[in-house]
Amino acid sequence: MTERGAPRLVPHLAMARTALVTLLSHYRRHPGQLAMLLVGLWVASALWSGVQAINASARDSYARAEALLSPSLERRDGAPLSYADFTTLRRAGLAVSPLVEGTIELNDGQRLNVLGIEPLSLPAGGIGEDRSAGNDGEDGANPLGLLQPPGQTRLAPETLATLNASPGERLVGAGGERLPPLVIDAQLPPGTLMMDITRAADLLERGPRIDTLLLAAGSQTALPAAYRPTPAAQGLSPGQLTESFHLNLTAMGLLALVVGLLIVHAALGLALEQRLGLLRTLRALGVPGRTLVGLLAIELVLLGLAGTLPGILAGLWLASVLLPDVAASLEALFSASVGASLSLPWHFWAGSLAITLGGLATAGLGMLWRTARLDILALGHAQPSRADGRRRYRRQAGLAALTWLAALGLWLWPTPAGTPSLIAGFAMVALALAGSALGLSVLLGAVLEGLKRGLPGNSPRTALIRWALADLQLQLPRLQLAMMALLLALATNLGVAGMVGGFRLTFLDWLDQRLVADLYLRPPPAAYDSWRDWLETRPEIATLLERRETDTRLIRAEGERPVALQGISPDPALTASWPLLATLNADRAAAWQSLREGAALINEQLAIATGLAPGDMLTLASPTGPFTTQVAGIYPDYGNPRGEVTLTVERLSQRFAAKPGSMGLVLTPGLAAADEAALRQRLTRPLPEAGEAPAPSLIDQRSLHRQARQVFERTFAVTRALTGLTLGVAALALFTGLLAQARERRARLAPLWALGLGRTTLLGVTLAQLGGLALATALLALPLGVALNWALVAEINVAAFGWRLPLHVFPAAWVQALGLAVLVALLAAALPAWRLWRAPPRQLLEEFSAS
Amino acid sequence: MNRRSTIRRLFTRLPRWKRMLLAGLMLALVLGLALGLVPSLALLTGPTGDSTPPTAQAPSGGFAGLGRAADGFTQARPGQALRFPEDHGAHPGFRTEWWYLTANLHDEQGRPLGVQWTLFRQALAPPAAQQDAKDAVGTTNPWASNQLWMAHAAVSRDEAHVVAERLSRGSPKGLAGPAGVRAMPFAAWIDDWQLTGALSETLSKALPNTLASPLSSSTDALSQLSVSATLDETTRYRLTLTAEGPLVAHGEAGFSQKAADGQGSFYYSQPFYRAEGEVTLNGETHRVSGRAWLDREWSSQLLSEAQQGWDWLSLHLADGTKLMAFRLRGGAAGGGETQGDTGDYLSGSLISADGTLTPLGPTELSLTPIAERSVAGRRLPTRWRLEVPGQGLDLTISARHPNRWMTTQVPYWEGAVTVEGSDGRPRGEGYLEMTGY
Repeated sequence: MTERGAPRLVPHLAMARTALVTLLSHYRRHPGQLAMLLVGLWVASALWSGVQAINASARDSYARAEALLSPSLERRDGAPLSYADFTTLRRAGLAVSPLVEGTIELNDGQRLNVLGIEPLSLPAGGIGEDRSAGNDGEDGANPLGLLQPPGQTRLAPETLATLNASPGERLVGAGGERLPPLVIDAQLPPGTLMMDITRAADLLERGPRIDTLLLAAGSQTALPAAYRPTPAAQGLSPGQLTESFHLNLTAMGLLALVVGLLIVHAALGLALEQRLGLLRTLRALGVPGRTLVGLLAIELVLLGLAGTLPGILAGLWLASVLLPDVAASLEALFSASVGASLSLPWHFWAGSLAITLGGLATAGLGMLWRTARLDILALGHAQPSRADGRRRYRRQAGLAALTWLAALGLWLWPTPAGTPSLIAGFAMVALALAGSALGLSVLLGAVLEGLKRGLPGNSPRTALIRWALADLQLQLPRLQLAMMALLLALATNLGVAGMVGGFRLTFLDWLDQRLVADLYLRPPPAAYDSWRDWLETRPEIATLLERRETDTRLIRAEGERPVALQGISPDPALTASWPLLATLNADRAAAWQSLREGAALINEQLAIATGLAPGDMLTLASPTGPFTTQVAGIYPDYGNPRGEVTLTVERLSQRFAAKPGSMGLVLTPGLAAADEAALRQRLTRPLPEAGEAPAPSLIDQRSLHRQARQVFERTFAVTRALTGLTLGVAALALFTGLLAQARERRARLAPLWALGLGRTTLLGVTLAQLGGLALATALLALPLGVALNWALVAEINVAAFGWRLPLHVFPAAWVQALGLAVLVALLAAALPAWRLWRAPPRQLLEEFSAS
Repeated sequence: MNRRSTIRRLFTRLPRWKRMLLAGLMLALVLGLALGLVPSLALLTGPTGDSTPPTAQAPSGGFAGLGRAADGFTQARPGQALRFPEDHGAHPGFRTEWWYLTANLHDEQGRPLGVQWTLFRQALAPPAAQQDAKDAVGTTNPWASNQLWMAHAAVSRDEAHVVAERLSRGSPKGLAGPAGVRAMPFAAWIDDWQLTGALSETLSKALPNTLASPLSSSTDALSQLSVSATLDETTRYRLTLTAEGPLVAHGEAGFSQKAADGQGSFYYSQPFYRAEGEVTLNGETHRVSGRAWLDREWSSQLLSEAQQGWDWLSLHLADGTKLMAFRLRGGAAGGGETQGDTGDYLSGSLISADGTLTPLGPTELSLTPIAERSVAGRRLPTRWRLEVPGQGLDLTISARHPNRWMTTQVPYWEGAVTVEGSDGRPRGEGYLEMTGY
């Protein structure tokens, strides 16, 4: 067998090689198509892997943060944990370890989290344990290092970089105290300093109090009756919020992938169609059909690798550019610290490669299928018949309608329990977008047909227009994928821009309403009363708005949930502009009056999470027992991940023993600039009446405004960058699509030229065709964009963040999108048109004879 | 068990030079913990030459503490009387201290079973510096302590050798912490491991508190003890200890010299315990009874540069006599009393059944390894010859099982031994400890 098989195999291989070279030679003749394929793959994998890289490294940061805080204990009586609890539990044989956490200010004003651990009692598998391979061990993770004087301040390399410090250096706190020398520990989350509990308790002035008692995982010893495991936080936790953020990013990345694959699909379709003759010739020469399919599959893999690998590298670059913004947004929005440098596991690479190659396979499957079913005897360049085209349209229209129906169904159908509503929201949006993309060519075809039929008369001009429309109809199957890409990109751009813009408007409005005071003062707690008494006597200050905050638990029949509690001064200066979303009997004044009388206001997040409505009763845990009151109204609270209850500041200090907070100072109207400056000066110095207490911190409203605005600008910079990129990809799709068929276009236009039409006219017709098509697509994208915008603010936002935004529409953005679409189309058409313009008559004649 | 693998993993992650340094530090800590001899942190602080007496020895100059921050510990010196029950408690002014219990037990079938319970105290900084630190940070911080507590427990029989270790920091004055020792009523504990006196408080208060009386009477705060430890899910023990003889003070009325140049520690023992209780080893519970030995020792000095470790024996002989002997290897060269050229320092105590103690000086005994075994990647002597010519003693001591390596943060060998006379007849049993191999 082998003796006979070997010589047979050689010509077989040789034939296959020749056939492969022949197939690939197509791209030498049409480098535009090759470029289009590679660019499509490159872009698709770049955007996808970029987004995935961002997600992966952000998640890694959370995992590191979470590892510091798993399973823990609390007292059943709700009293804070202290040294005595630690001792009691240790003596009972439980492997518990204490943790103190807090924030300190450095002497340069920078604020950092401080985590105090007790290295001797720490359960194995927690902090100080090496979880990631490749840790080079330069982190000094010896437990005694933390303990032995002068101790250690451990921090992530990222934190070290932001502090501009070097290992071994000693940071200095705001009060002049020296922290232990710095030591790098790559396992720590960014923005956290870890040190021995002794030093942390001193820095945070904790005394014997501790924040958390960690329990070794898998501890078998029974808990004493006075303790219980800390229940997981209910409702919207930062974890869920950041998950939402990542889901948003993933959805964007997926969209970019789809757009990129549409380009690939278009290019592959084109490459196959133009090689049908070649394929038939190869078959006629004796290349088996199976070999041909195999060769085309090899070609696909080669192209895929050539496009995907640089794509992933570009994605990494993109991620490293965007990551600092993402990190800053996440930190500001959700207090989730994310390292600003990429760290990627191996499966990231494999995953990105698999997704893009998988996408390529789905795009190329059609090509392989058609090759496998190739009829050798059919005509070389058979144009699809009208009947065929119509059947395909009908099928596509049916599919589009089905997808839309499914989207509608998802919207109307109640979300089945257990599925996150966010996933359902995204599925709905995805279905609607897919349905629209599928329906696009049907709609465009119908519009062209209608225009053609509606043209009156038979003037030469009308004839030319009719020809142009018919020609466009013929081009449509080839252009439809590029147009779909354009539609998706435009709709997404409009939708997201609408949401971001709307969010910005609403948020800034809300900020104006909430920040009514000119200055915000935070006196040291010990000197709070002295400062208040002093400020009340000042003539420069019209109103003093006190604010305190604390944490408590909302007690409900189905269980308890932690809520933030804030106390405000219900002064008209504040309440007049404070927005309320819902009140009892829609009476704002009455709601504020009942707040003064002891009722509560709740934020929208809490209302959505618990279903509490104005008029309902709510019960809060307080140091003196449960506190029950009525909900007087619901207020919007953008950007706050937590449920919040608002009471008067008096009630908060009396019933909930809230520590002194800040004071808003509304200045007397018409205060002279010099007086204001003098007051500011006065407010940054310690008060003589308050004895030793340090100076208060003063924030003016303008800088607060600026800070808040910065946070949100940064948050959406990433979103904007991604939509911009998607639009760019769509433009590229259109451009490469047109470029690829430029030569064919020339062959089609040559007869018209031969019939006596001027080149200027031909050029005008070409540009008008494409510009018109792009404009029609953009017009169709407008309603889709608005629908997407609505879905984002009313469905996805509520599911992801817990607040609903009013729908804002920005007609200027619409005009911009329309203009952009036409511009992109014209640009894409310009190069082929210019070639036509420059082509010598001889060449055009040649084309004519060739066709 | 997990902690140990954590430590090992941490250790292997360190770069080589750091590993060497850490190993050196740990070795120094072991030796220091168990012996409290001449400062040997030469690696870090610069060598202390043989001819130069350590600064701690010289009472001149810096005794007030200025310029000698590292030497701010109290020094053990002869002539100081032991005081009970105070000396049962901790001596924070000294660098290291331990409560060291070993028990040779037998189960219902008479099969031998060894139990160890040890609590170490180590000061990370001298008391003065400690006080400074406290003043600097305020006294409300219960974590601020420079005392480190470490406990080892082991249960062994034949192949089985279960070892556990606990660590804790000291607690502030007036607050009970997870680890500590109280003299009255006696209690030593770390987490849920404890060694507590069974005598009522009033009774122990009524006891005489001079050295003479407890050493001659058998009623003391330590005469009734109960000891317990949970090593892991399947191994734990609980024993009651009843002293059948008085406390004994080693060396010169409790000052035990540890080197030729006169350094030493305070050292007393209760070697006369009858032990009874229950031991669960790897899920199997046994009723046990036998004999136990408690050592109390505290000191401030680490080994000298040349001393590598020690071998220490506590033996219950069949005639009721107890024998303690140790050999410090290396160092102390130049002294006239050392054995041979090795510079080893030997010492011991022969305790009669009624508690009369005969100190054995460096020239009065000899301790010679006669067989070695490979244990945990090291060569260790598991058979010894102990001769006390003046008392007519010539004993052969053999480890019951070579695999008694303590895989604790500071590793060493600790296990039960059998004693035979020169005629090959069994003469008793005991415990052997070997460090620095």
